[in-house]
Amino acid sequence: MAGVADPTLAGNAHEEAAHDEAALLQHLPLEGKGLWLSLLVLAAGTSALFYGFLQQVLHGHAVTGQGSHGAVWGIMVANIVNFIGVSHVGIAISAVVRLLRLKRYQQLARLAEFITLAAITTAVTNIAMDVGRPERFIFNTLWYGRYTAPFVWSCTVITTYVVGSSVYLYLAMRRDLWLCETKVPSRRWFYGLLALGYTDTPASRARHTRVVWWLAVVILPIMVSVHSVYGYIFGLQAGRPGWYNPFQAPYFVLGAIVSGFSTVIVALALLRKTLHWEQFFPPRIFKGLGIFLGFVTLLYMYFLFSEYLTGIYASPEGERVVFHDVLFGRFAIVTWSAMLGGMLLPFALLFFQGVNRRVVSIPLSVVAALLINAGLWTIRTVVVVPTFYHPLLPWPVAPYTPTFAEWCIVIGSFFFFALLLLVLIKTFPVLELPEIEEEEHVRAQRMPLWKIASVGFSALAGVTLIATGLGHRLEPEVFHPVVIWLSGTILLLSVPFQICVLPERRLRVFVRAPLATARPAPLRPASVVSYLASARPRIVKAKVIVGRF
Amino acid sequence: MKEPTSSRRRFLGGFAQVATFVGLASGDVLATGETTPPRTHKWGMVIDLDRCTGCQACAVACRAENNVPVSGPVNTEKGRAIFWMNLLTTSEGTYPGLREEFIPTPCNHCEDPPCTKVCPVGATTQTEEGITAQIPDRCIGCRLCEVSCPYTRRYFNWSEAEWPESLREQLNPDVAVRPHGVIEKCLFCHHRIRAAKDKARAEGRSVTDAELHRLTACAQSCPAEAITFGDLNDRESEVTRQSESPRAFRLLEDVGTRP
Repeated sequence: MAGVADPTLAGNAHEEAAHDEAALLQHLPLEGKGLWLSLLVLAAGTSALFYGFLQQVLHGHAVTGQGSHGAVWGIMVANIVNFIGVSHVGIAISAVVRLLRLKRYQQLARLAEFITLAAITTAVTNIAMDVGRPERFIFNTLWYGRYTAPFVWSCTVITTYVVGSSVYLYLAMRRDLWLCETKVPSRRWFYGLLALGYTDTPASRARHTRVVWWLAVVILPIMVSVHSVYGYIFGLQAGRPGWYNPFQAPYFVLGAIVSGFSTVIVALALLRKTLHWEQFFPPRIFKGLGIFLGFVTLLYMYFLFSEYLTGIYASPEGERVVFHDVLFGRFAIVTWSAMLGGMLLPFALLFFQGVNRRVVSIPLSVVAALLINAGLWTIRTVVVVPTFYHPLLPWPVAPYTPTFAEWCIVIGSFFFFALLLLVLIKTFPVLELPEIEEEEHVRAQRMPLWKIASVGFSALAGVTLIATGLGHRLEPEVFHPVVIWLSGTILLLSVPFQICVLPERRLRVFVRAPLATARPAPLRPASVVSYLASARPRIVKAKVIVGRF
Repeated sequence: MKEPTSSRRRFLGGFAQVATFVGLASGDVLATGETTPPRTHKWGMVIDLDRCTGCQACAVACRAENNVPVSGPVNTEKGRAIFWMNLLTTSEGTYPGLREEFIPTPCNHCEDPPCTKVCPVGATTQTEEGITAQIPDRCIGCRLCEVSCPYTRRYFNWSEAEWPESLREQLNPDVAVRPHGVIEKCLFCHHRIRAAKDKARAEGRSVTDAELHRLTACAQSCPAEAITFGDLNDRESEVTRQSESPRAFRLLEDVGTRP
């Protein structure tokens, strides 16, 4: 938040800032054929998602290719893992940019956060579509949640993550919303409402910066926990050869980082082209992201190698058949094409770009990122499905082929994701608006006593509720511990929100930023009524006088 | 509690029994079991593989008793048919010396079931009498339990349950029909257990082993009397006696679920 967004702003600040702000906000207005066309295409694609879901509701999960003696989970679960993975990187990029003060990537932060929100919504939608009874899945999980179940952990961490990242996103964006109130007159009421009475003083800016910095520190481990839980869903199943593995959690976190980064690169390139953001995202940003993506891809390949080696080297029989099937059996084509085409080749491309000083190519980064995305998605299906072909008892197994309904859901969710992202981009300022650099270190003023009390109470109540929930974890039918600890978490995460948003003085004059263009002061109905009320006796008297003459 | 001796023999050679034990970890009732009738039951089943002829009467009886829906050819081919009790068939050797072995497999009602741990909503739990129960009305259909079961003894309702007209008349009113999108499984004919206990209570006595040892539909229908059901907390019961036989073993012991 602190600091100038773009180095070109350094000289002659005000004039260029004004020009820049117009460019920074030019993505907001809803105009242009391209926008409506893309909305139409994305909505049509999204309808495929709901078509697939409708088929499932009407005919049961028999419309999928899954079966009890066959693949119990299919590509939909791989898709969930993919989107949960994508969702992780947004906040990670944003938090790392903030903590390490990477000014060059600062404009990327909010776009990445929006990707997080869109992806996690898509993932939860997918979970709801994969379970057998979508109508009771959320309520039952909250109300009767069992602390031993990875599914409940996942519900807990996802809620924490969504709430935490929303607070983080909001607080980091609040000043920009306040600025938009004046810069975008057509949506004045909307941004005015969202800014929640922000006042732009050095003290307030300093407070926001501090709070958001600490929130970034807190949010990084939450992010790691979310994908770890997805690793545990697979890694804790002793009865599933090929999954049962203590390595699963870090493995999934790494996979999340890889696929998330590649999604960010693709989305960024697309938006840069269509919204003319060339000046904010120079090609070297893609190069930098590409180097990091190449590094994590290399790490992922190393993890993969280690897993496969363990799987085929003198391992228990159950494990060995699964990994043989993955590497040399019926999944060999899928696995090897994902590993060679989806990891090794893009890594080579990114490495080539990374070590060559002269090569800075956006198309190359995008192609590599697309390949990695496809490769990772495919590898996830190879994680999910093969174990079902080799149950520990020699049952006959029906082969799994994804059906039309499943592909509808999977492909539709990519459209759904893109649609959500587009809506978010069109609604909120994506690029951070520049602000005057603070020279001296301004400390936020002390909070008044009642505010300290409110914040302290929320923190204490939050911790107490979490502790109560955990303490009553053994009586889920009576105490509904998941609800208790989740409300505690939400209360706890409201603390940074309260610190920033609660007004400091109760009778403060409401200050709006000056309008960009002069507007006549609107006549408020309330003042007309009060004027009439005060003037009434005189009007009556005047009438009487008129009547007399 | 003294674990029943479970030695592993070559059950595929057909010389052994499958002993499927159920129970709670606390076994203090067992100490008093000699003198007074046990108050807490611990239901268990022993299947003598030597006696099994592979006739599948148990599977058929189970379907009829528990209102297991008819799947039809397409769903069966896709592995979506539901069997609370099924016959696992393995063959050994090649044609002239071919041996077929049959292992009847109900739910194992493990002592440490992986499925109850992963269930997010408590739809599947372990009862005090050692049955791994399933509440279809609570189930959200996430299929984590099905994934976690090493024996593949849990079944998801992939589509709405249906029966041909001729089979509708024989639906059992004691067992609820499950909707699509939930998991179902063997419950050790708990409605029969309850009926037996009610009858015994009405007559002011405790349930006897004679009532119990062929109680479940599979045990009742087995012509070879290979399946024995009963209370493992009752020292005198048939099932306890058989489970302590040196030939007894548990299925997939290395997974540690203690079936």
